[in-house]
Order: sequence, then C-alpha cells, then structure tokens
Amino acid sequence: MNFWFAVFRQTGRNLRQTWTSQFMTFLTVSLSVLIFAFFYLIYTNMLGAGDRLSDDLRLIVYLEDEPGPQMQEQLRRKIQNFDDVEDIHFISKEEAYQRFAMQLGENSDVLQDMPTNFLPASIEVVPLKSLRGYNQIKLFSEYLANLPGTEKVQYGQEWVERFYYFTRLLTIVVFLSGTLLILTATFMVAYTIRLTIMGRQDELELLKLVGATNSYIRMPFLIEGILQGFMGSIIGLSALYGLFQWITAHFTGPGLLSLFQFSFFPPGVIFLIIMSSICLCSIGSYTSIRKFLRI
Amino acid sequence: MIEMIKVSRTYDPNITALSDISLSIATGEMFFLIGRSGAGKTTLLKLICNMETPSNGLIEVAGYNINKLKGKDLAHLRQKIGVAYQDFKLLSNRTVAENIAIAMEVSYKNPRTIRHRVRDLLDQLQLVDKHDTLTGELSRGEQQRVALARSVANSPRLILVDEPTGNLDASTTRRVMELLTRSNKAGATIVIATHDDSIYQQGNHRIMELRDGNIHSLTRGSLK
Repeated sequence: MNFWFAVFRQTGRNLRQTWTSQFMTFLTVSLSVLIFAFFYLIYTNMLGAGDRLSDDLRLIVYLEDEPGPQMQEQLRRKIQNFDDVEDIHFISKEEAYQRFAMQLGENSDVLQDMPTNFLPASIEVVPLKSLRGYNQIKLFSEYLANLPGTEKVQYGQEWVERFYYFTRLLTIVVFLSGTLLILTATFMVAYTIRLTIMGRQDELELLKLVGATNSYIRMPFLIEGILQGFMGSIIGLSALYGLFQWITAHFTGPGLLSLFQFSFFPPGVIFLIIMSSICLCSIGSYTSIRKFLRI
Repeated sequence: MIEMIKVSRTYDPNITALSDISLSIATGEMFFLIGRSGAGKTTLLKLICNMETPSNGLIEVAGYNINKLKGKDLAHLRQKIGVAYQDFKLLSNRTVAENIAIAMEVSYKNPRTIRHRVRDLLDQLQLVDKHDTLTGELSRGEQQRVALARSVANSPRLILVDEPTGNLDASTTRRVMELLTRSNKAGATIVIATHDDSIYQQGNHRIMELRDGNIHSLTRGSLK
C-alpha cells in the first residue's frame, strides 16, 4: 500500500463520516460558482455585443452648409487634430438624398416632390478601435460639435450610454458575485474542515501516536477541499450550461436577444473557473488545517 | 534500546510525577514497571513514547533523543513503538479490525498483509467473532485486548504496555502474556507497567518499582 492509496482511503472515510456537512458545503460551493459564472457569462456576452456594436459605431456630424474642397480639407485636419480616425467620409446633400431614397426602397416615391438638397450635408467619422470607451466617444462628439459649421452630432448617444451603464452595473455584479464565491468557497470549506477536525480529535491524536506522518494526517483534509472545489465548480458550471442551452433554445431567433449572439465560456475560461474554485477551497481547507490541526 | 538519564517530570502547580530517573533497558529485554497508582508508571511510559516531554533529563530510544525528533523522523520512530494505553485510545465508531489495522496503515502495509495480521491477532486473543464489532460495543476486557493487539500489530521494536491485564480473567491474562512473550522472543523490547504480581513474578525479568516518582528498587523476578 502506498502513501496515496492510504491517503485516499482516509479521505473516503472522512467524507463518509461527515457526509451531511460535506454535502451542504458542496451545494453552497456549486451555487456560488453558478451565481458567479451566470453573471460572468452575461458580462462576457455583453462585452462581445458591445464590441460588435462598436464595430458599427459612426459619428455623424451634420453641417450647416455643404463644405467646399478646401473647407473639407480643413475639417479633416481639425478632426484628426483630436485623434487619428479610421475613416472620414464627407456626404454631400445630393448623396444624403440618394442614400435616403435607397433606404426608403419601394416607398421612395414620397421624395418625388422634394428637392434633392433638402437633407443637410454631413461628415461620417469612423473612430479608431482604440477610441471606443464611452467617455472618449463623448469627448470626441463634444469636440466635433464645436467644430465651425457643425449643426449637431449623432452617434446613438442614448443607446451607447445605456449600454455603457448596464455594462458597468454588470461589472459590479460580477465583482460582488465573485466576492461571494470567494467567501463561501473559502469560509464554508474552512468551516466544514474545522468541524471534521474537531469531531475527529481522538482519531487524529491516535494517528499521531501510532506514527502517522504529518502529510498522512493533513493530506486527506486538503484533498477534501480540492474535491469540494472541483465537484462544486463542475456541478455549478454544468447547471449553468443547462440553463444556457435552455435560453438559447427558447430565446434565439429574430428579436432583441438575437443581437447578442449568446455563446458559452471557451474551454480556457471553464478551466480557469474550475481551477479558481479548487484554489479557493484548498485555501479554506489549508487555513483550517493550519489553525486547528495541531500535530 | 532505552536510555534515561536523570529524567524528571513535574506538573503545575509543583507536582513531581518523576524525579531523577536514570535507567537503561536493553534491546530485546522484557522490563516490568511496578508501583502503586500515582507512583509515576504511566508518566514514564508516556515520556518514552514522547506523548509527554520531560521537565529535565535525557531520553534516548533506539539511539535517538526522542524529544529532539520532529516531523517524519518522529513519525517513523513511533511506527516502531507500539503502545497499549491504559485508557485504550480506541476509536469507538470503528470496528475492532479497523482499530487494529490503523497501526499498520500508517506505515503503508499491504491491505492483504493487514487483513491476515488482524485475523491472526484476533485469533490469538480470542476475539475473532468481534472482527466487525464496533469497539464502543465491547466490554472493557475486550477493549483492553484490542488495544494490546494494536500495539503489537505493526511488529514494533519497542512495545509499551500500561496495565495489560487489569480487566482480564486468569485465562485471558495468560493469553495476553503469551502474545507479549512471542513478540519479545521475536526481538521486541517490552516495557510493562502493572499492578499484577502474577505476571511479573513468573519470570526472571527485571522489575523496577516506583514510589512517589522515584526508583524504589530494581530487582529480578523470582523464577530463574
């Protein structure tokens, strides 16, 4: 019989003897992982959706008058003074009319009686990918609004603003649920191990007296923590995956949710969540061992 | 095997359990410690197996200063020391077989070897039918035999036994002594603390009497 066989058998005994508290801890860890992973999944999907939306982000600067070639060059320079941009495209009144007519499609008849220059000229500014923070976009739009000859700037402010605040709220929720995970995984496991140690003082003393090494006595408790973290995270993530499948089966298709293109965690993130859970539970277990297991 | 030089043990507040004990016990010797309750027999055994530390003096077991050993070294030495405690130290929620097996499990003995050794010991002590009984359900005499079986299970080089026959009838006492004698003949050093003169008078082993924590006499048994 080798060391690990003996240790795993001892761990099995521990689990059998304290299965009720072990089960409660396992449920708590699973639930904590589920809550954290649930919000984190929404958060990462929101970030993905935000990235996709920002790819289409355009700032439309409506001008009072159509600028001539020299004025266009001046405006281009002024815009680039703020920051480099991906693209600047001047849209004449004529081009704006044609675009509008194309958008109307079959209903473009309604424009028949309208002059072709009734829409204002504008500049379509595509900011660089690096300039995608809400505050930067806001500053940029304010800068553009102050350019001479600018009537107003549009970039879907309300939508961007709401999206930005929702993402911020989600960041806080993810942070809080992460904290919950840390607290429950660490403290619940520490508490359970402590109970196990307290309930088995006689046995631990005897093991010491018959010549059990420190690792023989400690390792089963550490393995309990690792198992709690592993099993808890596997069950928590499996439950989330089930929920994810249910949501994608019932809420995909045309509609608002289709915009988000929900995707589950990539294998790397799943591995990271499992490892974090194992680490946290091991820390909880180790703390109790250090504090209460006097050998 | 055991060297004790000027060993003392005092407890707060100022109670002397042992005072200036100097003693050598050779490898393979069977040694009896006698004396009234409170004379210091149990304390002496606890000092030898490092359950307690001396207030003064030096204790060497198998050439090691047992009070300086730590961690793995101490654990490995303890695996070579079998102790049958006066309070038995049995795990009441474990079976008889499991209690005996513990001593061998910590030194990673093969499960089959453990099973055979447990059965053999239970047979020698007439406890085969108690193999799967929880020790909490045993009589004191049976518990005493289980504690003794555990102390010899791992074939230790040193066996310390505290009152091995206190709860036993004459026939069981004989069986217990036969088991200890077999271990002794196999090379184990045995130290027995006892009140029972029937077990120490029957041989020519050394007998040390303690009184109030001091060595009162060191003699040999009457049978030559």
